[in-house]
Amino acid sequence: MNNKKYWKSLGELNNNDEFIKQSKNEFTEQLPIGNFLGKESLADTKTPRRDFLKFLGFSVTAASLAACETPVRKTVPYLIKPEEITVGIANWYASTYDDGNDFCNILVKTREGRPIKIEGNKLSSFSGGGTNARVQASVLSLYDNERLQGPLKDGKATDWKQIDSDLIAKLEAANAAGNGIRILSSTITSPSLNALIAEFTAKYPTTKLVTYDAISYAGIRKANQKTFGAAVIPTYNFSNANVIVSFGADFLGNWVSPIQFARQYGKSRKLSKDKKEMSKHFQFESILSLSGANADVRVGVKPSQIGAGVVNLYNAIATKAGAATLSAGKVPFDKSIAKAADALWANQGKSIVICGSNDSHIQTVVNGINYLLHNYDKTIDIVNHLNLGKGDDAEFSTLIDEMKGGKVGVLMMHNCNPVYTSPKALEFEAALAKVGTSVSFNISKDETADKCKYVCPNHHYLESWGDASPQVNSFALIQPTIYPLFNTRAIGESLLAWMKGSGNYQDYIKSVWQKSMFTMQNTEPFFENFWEKCLHDGIFETSPRLAEPLAWSYDLTADAADVANEKGSELEITFYQKMGIGNGNQANNPWLQEMPDPISKTTWDNYITMSPKEMERRGYNIIHEKEEKMSTVNLTVNGVTFQNVPVFPQPGQPEGTIGLALGYGRTKAGKVANNIGVNAYSYMGKNADGLLSYYATKVSIADSAEKYMIVTTQTHQTLMGRNMVKETTFSEYLKDPKAGNETVMLSLANGHEHKKVPAHTVDLWATEDKPGFARPGLQWSMGIDLNVCIGCGNCVVACQSENNVAVVGKDEVRMNREMHWIRIDRYYSSSMTKEKGELENKGIIETYHEMEVPEENPQVVFQPLMCMHCNHAPCETVCPVIATTHSNEGLNHMTYNRCVGTKYCANNCPYKVRRFNWFKYFENKQFDFNMNNDLGKMVLNPDVTVRSRGVMEKCSMCIQRIQEGKLTAKKEGREIRDGEFETACAQSCPTNAITFGNIADSNSKVAKMKEDERSYYMLEELGVKPSVFYQVKVRNIEESLS
Amino acid sequence: MQTNNKVFTFCFKPLVILAAFLLLRPVSLYSQDAAAGQKLFKNNCAACHTLTDAKLVGPGLKDVASKVPQPAEEWLIKWIKNSQALVKSGDSYAVKIFEEYNKSVMPSQALSDDEIKSILAYIANPEAVGGGAAKPKEAAKPADSTAPAASNPNTTLYFLLGLIILFLILIGVLSGVKKSMQRMVNNQAGLPEPEPVTYNWDYCKHWLRNNKKIVAVVLILLSGYLSKAAWDGMMGIGVYQGYAPEQPIFFSHKIHAGENGISCVYCHSGVEKSKISNVPSANVCMNCHKGIQEGTVTGKTEIAKIYKALDYDPDKQTYGPNPQPIKWVKVHQLPEHAYYNHAQHVTVGKIECQTCHGPVEKMDTLRQFSPLTMGWCVDCHRKTEVKMAGNPYYDKMHEELKKTYGNKPITVSMMGGIECGKCHY
Repeated sequence: MNNKKYWKSLGELNNNDEFIKQSKNEFTEQLPIGNFLGKESLADTKTPRRDFLKFLGFSVTAASLAACETPVRKTVPYLIKPEEITVGIANWYASTYDDGNDFCNILVKTREGRPIKIEGNKLSSFSGGGTNARVQASVLSLYDNERLQGPLKDGKATDWKQIDSDLIAKLEAANAAGNGIRILSSTITSPSLNALIAEFTAKYPTTKLVTYDAISYAGIRKANQKTFGAAVIPTYNFSNANVIVSFGADFLGNWVSPIQFARQYGKSRKLSKDKKEMSKHFQFESILSLSGANADVRVGVKPSQIGAGVVNLYNAIATKAGAATLSAGKVPFDKSIAKAADALWANQGKSIVICGSNDSHIQTVVNGINYLLHNYDKTIDIVNHLNLGKGDDAEFSTLIDEMKGGKVGVLMMHNCNPVYTSPKALEFEAALAKVGTSVSFNISKDETADKCKYVCPNHHYLESWGDASPQVNSFALIQPTIYPLFNTRAIGESLLAWMKGSGNYQDYIKSVWQKSMFTMQNTEPFFENFWEKCLHDGIFETSPRLAEPLAWSYDLTADAADVANEKGSELEITFYQKMGIGNGNQANNPWLQEMPDPISKTTWDNYITMSPKEMERRGYNIIHEKEEKMSTVNLTVNGVTFQNVPVFPQPGQPEGTIGLALGYGRTKAGKVANNIGVNAYSYMGKNADGLLSYYATKVSIADSAEKYMIVTTQTHQTLMGRNMVKETTFSEYLKDPKAGNETVMLSLANGHEHKKVPAHTVDLWATEDKPGFARPGLQWSMGIDLNVCIGCGNCVVACQSENNVAVVGKDEVRMNREMHWIRIDRYYSSSMTKEKGELENKGIIETYHEMEVPEENPQVVFQPLMCMHCNHAPCETVCPVIATTHSNEGLNHMTYNRCVGTKYCANNCPYKVRRFNWFKYFENKQFDFNMNNDLGKMVLNPDVTVRSRGVMEKCSMCIQRIQEGKLTAKKEGREIRDGEFETACAQSCPTNAITFGNIADSNSKVAKMKEDERSYYMLEELGVKPSVFYQVKVRNIEESLS
Repeated sequence: MQTNNKVFTFCFKPLVILAAFLLLRPVSLYSQDAAAGQKLFKNNCAACHTLTDAKLVGPGLKDVASKVPQPAEEWLIKWIKNSQALVKSGDSYAVKIFEEYNKSVMPSQALSDDEIKSILAYIANPEAVGGGAAKPKEAAKPADSTAPAASNPNTTLYFLLGLIILFLILIGVLSGVKKSMQRMVNNQAGLPEPEPVTYNWDYCKHWLRNNKKIVAVVLILLSGYLSKAAWDGMMGIGVYQGYAPEQPIFFSHKIHAGENGISCVYCHSGVEKSKISNVPSANVCMNCHKGIQEGTVTGKTEIAKIYKALDYDPDKQTYGPNPQPIKWVKVHQLPEHAYYNHAQHVTVGKIECQTCHGPVEKMDTLRQFSPLTMGWCVDCHRKTEVKMAGNPYYDKMHEELKKTYGNKPITVSMMGGIECGKCHY
């Protein structure tokens, strides 16, 4: 007899009172009846159950009787149908996203005249068809209920005539009195708007344009001014870089031009039969950024040590180059610096060193390193520089001084929100009160517009004409894709009205293009043809200018001395941007608020990130589970205090540092964003260079008794010894391309013997198709290259936008009820493995406990996960109503109108990718997001059903696109072309990590990708035959992974 | 009932037809010229000319032959073939007309002399031809009054009721006869009179008890009938076959698609490209109704509604600033969770509109012809062969499918056309 005892919890083992009491209840936990009923008032209603049943019976009968009547529905056709519209068929327009922070060439999909989806423009060599989550979500910002519906004067609605007559008078008066007219704007890359402002300045000579970006790159510009005499941000080419060293620059997520850089980075990391080389990426940083998570070597450093690290690297390189070294303090990570220096030196002219600091002293040393490495004109181009990030902090400070001194007559603010984004220390708000006439062009009544006398709302970019030039040799057009929804006016038109009484901005742009861009080319002899072509393509690119070899005559000694003066402190804070919220200008976008942060997987919140070890030392709660609230602190930085800021454990964060995201703590953004988190901008100060500093050393923390709930979409942080993600090292890969992708073996009983066989030969079901089941030669499949996926979350929002995925809000996410069809699992490495546990003689429970704890500086993997469309799907067999079925094209269909909501399928899904509609998320006041107002509903894709309460849903592999693509081919009488349609996630992936296609076509990209040795199926041992496969992640490190 | 129907059909249909034929005869004798002229007029002239005095782009053509210089036919042929040549030749009337209409040139028409003559014949007497198409209905009416329409179900019902009553009377009479005969026999045999049977409840119970088999059979039949009726009733919920709502504008498909033979695609232009076969926008109506301001059935009232919607002034030919969209009542309502694509069926499947929409060209008020139920869709997908020939899209696919099906014709369902996700996502 077996005397072994099994227990399911420690409580049961010890048999304590609590356990005995609980074991008497049927459910160990309180059932969430309150949540189920939605409203608490329902719980104590006076209606007895029998009455309820009577009402129910009556209403069912009444409803079925009512159903007998034909419902009268009206159909209202166009009166005069625009020629280009065919009802039911989408029109695409090329345009550009340029909000002063992100830049992207895009295509806009419109249905019956309303934009519903943003995709990347593959013609662009700048962004190359990629987007990021914020660009994807910008289409929803168009339909934001909080947008201004017309101009305001003193906060009251007025008309444009009044605005024009008032402002012309004010401008003339200010000009005559010599009181300065100032235009404060975020970076303007638009050639036309710049030309217009120049004309405006000619009319009102006291006008001055001050460029101010919430996220400043002034340090880089200043450094380039010092070393090369050009205050620019160079163009980087990461695709040609074999070695990338970044000091705190999150170039994949939020640094200068991340979509462009991610594209290039993806190219440099792609491995195939023909390309067996990949870049090596070193990252020295404080917070665990997206770039850090993707780095081969990540070193956690304090932000104040970044400068010293850069100088140390300079010295290491200079020693190799035989140049003079600089004086530098010692840093604790000098071994990593030496390794980076070796790698860099071996790849001269094929490497990049960048730094995220806004201190020109550090940036000049970075320039020195790149110069010594001969990277200029190869991977870094000063001549064909970027036009992004032109914010000038010094000018901004001067402006505030002028304002305080009452020297500014008229201040016009475009595309910036300085009341919110400027540090408290600069006292912008007080200075604004002293300005004669303040004007805001912002599209909503945000923190700044609220304080302005006049608000002249600009169009949303999808409603307006415009142009842009992100790089010297790249131009882009912005064209309206919808008639302006409200009584708004383009800034260009406002300026023209105040200059000349009236004017058409579109004509103005055209004239600028005729004068300049048209003359740069000679392929199109007629301007109209040239204009049409540019409008169609959305872009106009000229070949890059050839550069003269750069000369270096700058002495770095003084800069190095300044860097050495940098004093650290016991606790330092880094201010960073999240992938969703960015600088906060689109904070009122529910898609972005609900998008899980790629690293922490939190949604809807802002918090301090801290090393788990330090949190433990300070006595903070580090267990983050569904019902566990986080500790909070009162955080004081640079003399500014916020109460009760929650603290979240972040592996990889060095001790003595904390991180806090910018873009939260909005007060006038709208009901979605208001009062979420704290405004980190207000903490910021200036660095030794007089520029805005994105870290601070004057930090103190005081414990607070409050607890705060933070919600995440992932609670298990490590792989726990499982093999969902397979990885190897680059050296192993070179030895054997199948490294890390060992065939999964299963043990089969053969009589009394057990025999190991490859998992793919074993099947849950009969391997053969049912007789009479024909496959038409279409087999949709998807391949995801984990080596290229950077986990940015673009696909999550792209899918949400394409498939009408509901926003559920923080409280529902807490209950694991987020609806995203695609999620990105992020796993940290753990120092404990099963083998190690056995070696160290640890019990299995203890081993598993330790495996759950991430390393102090973990390696990170990202794994996008959507429905695997298993060909032998476990979900299909358990559905009692056959609502989920298999198609002969390899898709797992989900039929909402058949589903009765048993959730058996979700329980039986090994990948946990099914989502249940616990509520009706549209027309439901409980979920006051975009599906609950007429404006927000305009973003819905009419080709996809809006799911109602009580049904299961999941990734359909964008079946509406497959259907459309097949039909187009049928109509045109041709075969389907590989790549002519893609799923939403694959289309705009900035790194091209996702490949979609017909795997039955042996010439298709996806079929060839499947043949690669790195390809594997997730949980292959289950024998469910998924349609989605992954490719092994390869780390470019020397040491072996095991 | 069927037989009776047939009897009626057999007797009366020829009568109706004969009556109609007799009454139609004089009309049919009308000259072929004018009938041809009507068609030519509609195709070539109606965009700019009316048959009345009303001016359109050009003058109204009522009594045109008496207005122009004589001999009218000769002059008109010259004018129609090349009006500018006539103006240049200095013909005083031609110049006058040209000046009167602000020197707008009447385009030369590529018509033969005979064709022009038939148009002129039609202009001279449009009533005669117009009646040719429209009159038979009226002509048949007198026949209606003398012979009831054979197919009218109401009449059949009355006839049946009459028969039943007749049979009941017969039964009554016969049973009376039987009773008196019995009484006579009894009297002759000297037997007492039989006790009159009282049909009370006890008797019924007694009868029911003694005839259990009959009761059981009747009960089974009754419950079967009721279940079927209930089932049919339930299945009918949400099925609106025959739904023919009144529309804001009395638009007759019969006149447009039937009599005028306008192709469906001319107005429903999205049908070959899009999933939606669009309700045409009002500017499509105006392609013809800028010219045709008066209909044959409703006169100006219904066409005026288009003008009102567009805020169009037919006299000044200008559009005003206050257009009002037309709110048509949707006839075919597919549930929102069902995906249906017209282009797939019309362009790729080469299915006629009438297959699903019925004889639209015969409907004055549009009616939902098909049940539009899922069973109906699936049924067709099971039966219909995919039009693979001549479409290279299917070439490789057909080869693949042959592996399973051999040379059998491939139906939509064999290709996966009844999978849930083809229509629901």
